Amino acid sequence: MQRDDPPPLDEDDVPGQLPWSQMAQDMAVTLWPSFLAASVATMFFFAFFDPSLFGDGAMPPRWLTHRMAGYAVGFFFFWAICTLSSALTLYLVRTARQQGPRGGR
Amino acid sequence: MNASPAKDTAQPASYYEARRKIYPRETDGRFQRLRYIAIWVLLGLYYLLPWIPWDGRQSVLFDLPARKFYVFGLVFWPQDFFYLTWLLIILGLSLFFFTALAGRLWCGYACPQTVWTEVFIWIERKFEGDRNRRIKLDKAPWSLEKVLRKGGKHLAWVLFALWTGFTFVGFFTPIHELWGKVTQFSTGPWETFWVLFYSFATWGNAGFMREQVCKYMCPYARFQSAMFDRDTLIIAYDTGRGEPRGARARNADYRGKGLGDCIDCKACVQVCPTGIDIREGLQYECIACAACIDACDAVMDKMDYPRGLVRYTSQHAMEGATAHVVRPRMIVYGVLLAALVVGFFVSISLRTPVGLDVMRDRNALYRTLPDGSIENVYLLRILNKDTQPHVYVLGASGLPGISLEAGETGGTGGRVRHEVGPGEVYSLPVRVRVPRDEATGSHEILFEVAAEDGPRLKASREARFLGP
Repeated sequence: MQRDDPPPLDEDDVPGQLPWSQMAQDMAVTLWPSFLAASVATMFFFAFFDPSLFGDGAMPPRWLTHRMAGYAVGFFFFWAICTLSSALTLYLVRTARQQGPRGGR
Repeated sequence: MNASPAKDTAQPASYYEARRKIYPRETDGRFQRLRYIAIWVLLGLYYLLPWIPWDGRQSVLFDLPARKFYVFGLVFWPQDFFYLTWLLIILGLSLFFFTALAGRLWCGYACPQTVWTEVFIWIERKFEGDRNRRIKLDKAPWSLEKVLRKGGKHLAWVLFALWTGFTFVGFFTPIHELWGKVTQFSTGPWETFWVLFYSFATWGNAGFMREQVCKYMCPYARFQSAMFDRDTLIIAYDTGRGEPRGARARNADYRGKGLGDCIDCKACVQVCPTGIDIREGLQYECIACAACIDACDAVMDKMDYPRGLVRYTSQHAMEGATAHVVRPRMIVYGVLLAALVVGFFVSISLRTPVGLDVMRDRNALYRTLPDGSIENVYLLRILNKDTQPHVYVLGASGLPGISLEAGETGGTGGRVRHEVGPGEVYSLPVRVRVPRDEATGSHEILFEVAAEDGPRLKASREARFLGP
C-alpha cells in the first residue's frame, strides 16, 4: 500500500476537526436519543389520532388541525419533551456523587 | 466536566481524548467492492423507488395527508398500524439475529450514516484528491485553487443533500407533483421545511459528523456487544501471527530476526474511518467496514505473505477452538424470526380489504316510534381498502324482528346497499328498529357488511342496542 508515502499518523500539526467539545457531546446525547424516541412516539400517536379530528372543541387552534401541520408540530413537541427528559437524565448522571469502580463494575 | 470513572476502556484519564481529524485513506479490495454494491443497491432503491409507477400511482408512497400507505399493490390504513408494529419487531429481531451471527454487518454495509458518509467522502475525493492531497490542501494557505476545490466540494455536497431531502419528502407526498412545485418554487411551507430539514441532517451527518455519530451518538454501537458471543463473526488482527511487528526489507528473513508477519505499515490504521488501530483488539468504535482487511491483504500480497493477518473470524476461531455457526442462540432467534416473517406475509395476504366502524349516536339513548317500536341511531363507517369499487350490503342481526334503515338510500327489509369507491371511507347514519317487546334493556347486536361481488370481503362489528 505504499502508493505515495502517507505522512505518519501521529503527526501533530495535521489540521483537523477537533474532538467534540463537552457541549457538543452533551447536545448529541440529548438531542439524538430524544429524536429517535420522538419519531417512535409520533408514529404511534398519529396512527391512532388524526389531527384533522382535533378541531372538535374550541381548544386547539384551527391551523393545528391541518394534518401536515399537526404531524410536524406533534413531532417537534415530542422531540422537545424527550429532549427535556434526556437532559435531566444527563444532568442527574453528571451531578451524582462519583463512585470509583470498587471490586469490578 | 468529570471523566467518567466507570468507563472500562483502555483509554486513560479522560475518555474524550484529544483527537485529530481522520482522513480515511481510500481502499480497494473484496470488501470495499461489496460495500460499493451495498451502497449502490440501497441508495438506488432510495432514489428510484418513488419514481417507479405502479397501478397508475407511485409504487411506494406514505401518503400522510391522506393517512394511507401504498406499498406496491398494497394499501395500508391507520387501522393496519399493527402491521407496522409487527414489522418493527421483525426488524429489531433481525438486528439481533444478524449481529449475533456476523457482528456489525449493519454498521459496515447498510446503516444510512455509513452509506451516505461513503458518498460524501467520494465527492470529497473527487474535488480534493486522495488522502495525502487532502491533508496537504488543508495545510496549504488559501489560494484560488483551494477555494475552488473546497467550494466545489461544498456545492456538490449541498446539491446532493438537497436531492436527498427532496427524495425523502417524495416518499410522503407524490414526487412528480412535488418536482413540479420545486421547479416553480411553489412548494408548500411544510414540504419546504421537511426538504430542508432532511437535507440539513444529511449534510451535517454525512459531511461533517461522520463516524463521530457512531462513536458518540449511536445506541446500537454501545449495546451491540451484548448480542455478541464468542462465535460471532468479528474483524480481528491475528496477534499470534503478526507479533512482534516491525519494519523489514521485502525479502528479509524476518522470522530469523524474531519478527511476526505485521510489517507495521499502519495501512490498517490509515484506512480506518473511525481512526482506531485494529491491532489493539476489538473496540466499540469499529464499525466492521472491513477496510483494514482490504488494506492489509494488499500489503500481504505485496510482501508475498499469506492474506488474512486481519480478517473476518470469531473469538473461538482465534483461540484455536471450533467456531459454531449453528448454536442455541442462533436457533432461537432464527425460529422466532422465521415465524414472525411467515406470519407477517400470511396475515397480509389474508387481510380482508374492508373495514367497518360503528359509533352510537350520542344524542339519544333510544326513541320510541309511533308504532311502538324502539329505534337506536348509529353512525357506520364502511372502509373499502381495496383498489376497486364494491357494492356493499349492510345488515343487522341479533334481535328478533330487527330492521335497518339508512338516511338517503332507504332500507328495504333490514338491508342496505351502497357502493363504496376504492380507498373510500363511507359514513352513513343508520336507524335500527326493534319491536317494543324485544327491546327491553340492553342487547348486543351485530352489524355486518359484505361485498356483493366478493364473498371474502366481509366485516362485522358488535354494538349495543338500548331499550326502555
